[in-house]
Amino acid sequence: MARLAGRRSLFAAPVLLVVTFGMFAIAAASPFDPVRAYAGTAALGADRETLDRLRTNLGVDRPFAERWWDWLTSALTGDLGQSSVMRQPVAEVIGERLLWSTLLCTVAFAAAVLGGTLLGVLAARRQGGWLDRTVTSLAYALSAAPVFWTALLAIWLFALRLDLLPAGGLTDTATEQVTAGQVVSHLVLPAGVLAVSQLPWFVLYVRQGVADALTEDPVRGARARGLSEHTVLLGHALRSGLLPVLTLIGSRLPELITGALLVETVFSWPGIAAATVEAATAVDFPLLAALTALAAVAVLAGNLLADLLYGLFDPRVKLSEM
Amino acid sequence: MTTRWIRGTVVAAAMTCGAAACSAPGGGPGDGGSADSVVIGVASEPDTLSPLLGYGKDGNSKIFDGLLARDADLKLVPALAKALPTVGDNGLTYTYTLRDGVEFSDGEPLTAADVVFTYETVLDEKTNNTSRSELDAVEEVRADGDGKVVFTLKYPYAPFAGRTVLPVVPEHVAGGQDPNTGSFNTEPVGTGPYVLSAWSKGEKLTFKANPRYWGGAPKVRTVTMAVVEDDDVRATRLRSGDLDGAVLPPNLAAAHRNDSGTKSRDFRTYEARSYDFRTVTLPTGNEVTGDRAIRRALDAAVDREAMTAGILDGAGRPAYGPLPVDDPWFAKGIEHPQDLSGAERILDRAGWREGADGIRARNGRRAAFTLLYPSGDKVRQDHALAYASDAKKAGIDVKAESATWEVIEPRMKDDAVLAGGGSTGDPDFGLYTLLHSSLAGDGFNNMGHYDNPAVDKALDAGRRSQDEQTRKAAYDTIQRELVKDPGYTFLTHIDHVYVLADRWQGLTTQLEPHEHGFASGPWWNVEDWRPEQ
Amino acid sequence: MADTAVETEWRSCGTRRRSARTVRVAASVTIVAATVLAVLLVPPLVQLDQQAVDLAAKLQPPSWAHPFGTDDVGRDLLLRCVHGLRVSLLVGVTAALTATVIGTAVGATAGALGGWADRGIMRLIDTFSSVPHLLLGIFVVAMFRPGVWPVVVSVGLTHWLSTARIVRAEVLSLRSRPYIDAALSGGASRLRIAVRHLLPAVLPQAALAAVLMVPHAMWHESALSFLGLGLPSHLASLGNLIQNARGSLLAGQWWPTLFPGLFLIVPTLAVAGLAGAWRERINPRRRSELML
Repeated sequence: MARLAGRRSLFAAPVLLVVTFGMFAIAAASPFDPVRAYAGTAALGADRETLDRLRTNLGVDRPFAERWWDWLTSALTGDLGQSSVMRQPVAEVIGERLLWSTLLCTVAFAAAVLGGTLLGVLAARRQGGWLDRTVTSLAYALSAAPVFWTALLAIWLFALRLDLLPAGGLTDTATEQVTAGQVVSHLVLPAGVLAVSQLPWFVLYVRQGVADALTEDPVRGARARGLSEHTVLLGHALRSGLLPVLTLIGSRLPELITGALLVETVFSWPGIAAATVEAATAVDFPLLAALTALAAVAVLAGNLLADLLYGLFDPRVKLSEM
Repeated sequence: MTTRWIRGTVVAAAMTCGAAACSAPGGGPGDGGSADSVVIGVASEPDTLSPLLGYGKDGNSKIFDGLLARDADLKLVPALAKALPTVGDNGLTYTYTLRDGVEFSDGEPLTAADVVFTYETVLDEKTNNTSRSELDAVEEVRADGDGKVVFTLKYPYAPFAGRTVLPVVPEHVAGGQDPNTGSFNTEPVGTGPYVLSAWSKGEKLTFKANPRYWGGAPKVRTVTMAVVEDDDVRATRLRSGDLDGAVLPPNLAAAHRNDSGTKSRDFRTYEARSYDFRTVTLPTGNEVTGDRAIRRALDAAVDREAMTAGILDGAGRPAYGPLPVDDPWFAKGIEHPQDLSGAERILDRAGWREGADGIRARNGRRAAFTLLYPSGDKVRQDHALAYASDAKKAGIDVKAESATWEVIEPRMKDDAVLAGGGSTGDPDFGLYTLLHSSLAGDGFNNMGHYDNPAVDKALDAGRRSQDEQTRKAAYDTIQRELVKDPGYTFLTHIDHVYVLADRWQGLTTQLEPHEHGFASGPWWNVEDWRPEQ
Repeated sequence: MADTAVETEWRSCGTRRRSARTVRVAASVTIVAATVLAVLLVPPLVQLDQQAVDLAAKLQPPSWAHPFGTDDVGRDLLLRCVHGLRVSLLVGVTAALTATVIGTAVGATAGALGGWADRGIMRLIDTFSSVPHLLLGIFVVAMFRPGVWPVVVSVGLTHWLSTARIVRAEVLSLRSRPYIDAALSGGASRLRIAVRHLLPAVLPQAALAAVLMVPHAMWHESALSFLGLGLPSHLASLGNLIQNARGSLLAGQWWPTLFPGLFLIVPTLAVAGLAGAWRERINPRRRSELML
């Protein structure tokens, strides 16, 4: 297992090199003006002279490959530069916000996996039944619904019409302390929407996996041995039906990040995904670059995790062979 | 493995929350309903809290004081200075005597050296202050003993005293640092009514009452500024009881007012009058927008009343020039209603003839131009759409397009822009940069490259003269010249609308400039608020 | 006992499923056809004057005169939705075509060349897929926004990966066919083989991928526009309509948010339904290959 992790990490290094170099190349080709980004709205009233002096002070006129190398070497020491939109070091921005994004994504992902498995199994049990058809149609419809649209309608329904849940933020602003109770009540809506956006995929895959497994020999054998339908379903079909899902969990990470980008923005959740959108809007390159690289790291880690999980759950696979 | 991993993360998250809860500063009962604390939703967060980089340059900074301040009627009143300055040498020197016994929140006394340090640092080329040109007139600042500061100007600048609301910073704290990157930007120390107790970037700033404040410790002990960029989100959080007050666009404030479902709290709406105009720049260099007939026709064709009612929900006033109609400097008589037939007459006379598509043309050139508006700004977008709709009725084809400022800026000299602006304090502050031909195309000054010698002359006269009558005449001339050659179509002065829980008495709003953040709104003087009896 | 019960149910489900499938396919065809017709015909027939602002008629709820209501400057929402669909569809189709061209070229090159080049290209694809699509898209538009082309490019640049993989696999399987060997030994050049034999064979796969990609590309365009990073707001794309409606939603007017979203969902489902049916015909055993 350690060997696999090591090899994956070796693969990750060149990937990250290419990704970050690509980002600097794109930025170099871009017509955006880092000086204006730095000065923000204040630049709108500033005269040319002031802006020119800012340019010299910021030192943005060097070739991009050089700046990439500088960035890379200082990134290795933990210095990711200064975010112009947040006015603080990028590392600090990430440090403050990573936790909240992780919390949101973990809760949503867990809810989606559990809910998806449950609904998928229920649907697969009676294929073509009313439950199956309802679940499947809903899943297809939800998979086509843009998550930001669902989020808006959820706010309208739960926060405005029913006044059940807070519409955004992490805590009530009046309090300076972040208490668990507040976070939970603020988490329900964004995590719920994010989970619902990920749910269809799990439902459909689990349903497919379990349904396929039900027709396979071991299951038929188990049935023939007179085991109860319950045991067959949970003991055999679920196990082999979930296997393909597990392998693909890692590949869902990009989708999860995509969903988080939109959900955090709609609910003003103070996580890194919302920060990414802010950075993009303000053309805050240092922050945007760091967060993009971070997402790449997360995806690579997710792939590794999926491989490891697959190995753990399926004894036929030897990790050393992967 | 999965479960363990997931659970591990959640536990870690919970533990960190716990740690954060313990280490959060303060600890007084954060009761949202009491009158000694208030949570306000603002649209933007300051980039820095250092006045050296421009924070609070127009006053009401909460953490700092200037030599002077402005009261509810925008009259200059002494703050860190004992009295208004004595002006000498034909308006070339301004002498301020400092108030005795003022201390910074860290206990150190305020001295003249701090004032000199502040102004010299702002004037220093190496400081990244984008509004340095506001102090352009200053030749020299020097301390005269510990208690006096003398400014020497390069030229007589009548409204100079209005610039000295600039907050004063302590030299013993900010002096040793790089003003552009130093910790003073996020850990400010001032003489003001509040001290910063926490700043969670992009989320909120918390201020605590300064017990050493020379004006007496404020009754509202905790002020939280929640940064909620999106208007819609701010409105939602106000409604859910998360915020006590917020600045809102008129339509959302109206929705709030109509809705009684707010959590058992009474809200009051404050509409602050402002100098904040929305205008269309008509670049002189563009053959269509540079034409005087087109400019005058557009000025006549727009329905300002409909915009005020439909876009601003009544929270604003039609603008017939850069100054609002109720300003003492306003030139009476330049108001006029929508006059489509008048617009058509002007165009007919100038030779702009209607073509087959309903759009006028002259010598083969169509009366068409592009109007850019900054994307994401709903109020400007609606203004632009309504403007284009009105222009079409007069036979002028205006294509409204959204763009970011990076895109708009290089196109400003050729394309019309839906711009905003307006400064309080003195007509010179806003008008000179908006209209003087020497500033045409200089950053965002005079965006339309307006060039009118009569206006230039009057602007200079207004700036240099000390005489009230001469100045009044000068600004009168400018406004009437703008009617003859409207290089900007002024549309509306928008009111800034605020909604605030009704727990304090006698709140006021100032007349507000274009920029509005912490400093504006009913909380401009939160330090003076008294609880409702 | 249990066995037979299940068997019966399977069988009964079979017929029901088949008729349900017919209905689904018919519905999909109708919706896709209606969409295409509406998008092609309505804008030329009913001139939507972008400037036709009627401040007196703003935010009217759905009625006979305005079936979808009006927006916050008094424009008819049904017309705006149709126009929005047209804009979104145009951007989606252009982006999907861009992605398909890139994907086919890269995939075919990798498959045809094999060896080191193949491995290198596959590594590059892996690298690209390690950055979430929307994030990469955001990065590109942030650096080049605003405008139509940055959006098309950003969606095109992020969506060619799957097409490249599909095409490469197809080419690899073709390469082992005897007639390719025959052509090679007959002295045909590699280029000639690629153009004459490989390309025609992979085109149907690429075309299916392109059609499936259109809804996805539209989704991306909407997401970017919704975040304020996509199409400039004067273009009535569906994402912009939803973005524009946020304020109204909070003021209690739900219709400007609801309808543009439905305009995005329904055609997406129809395309998915069609593609599903098409795949079922090719490969009936695997009933519903998932295309999410």
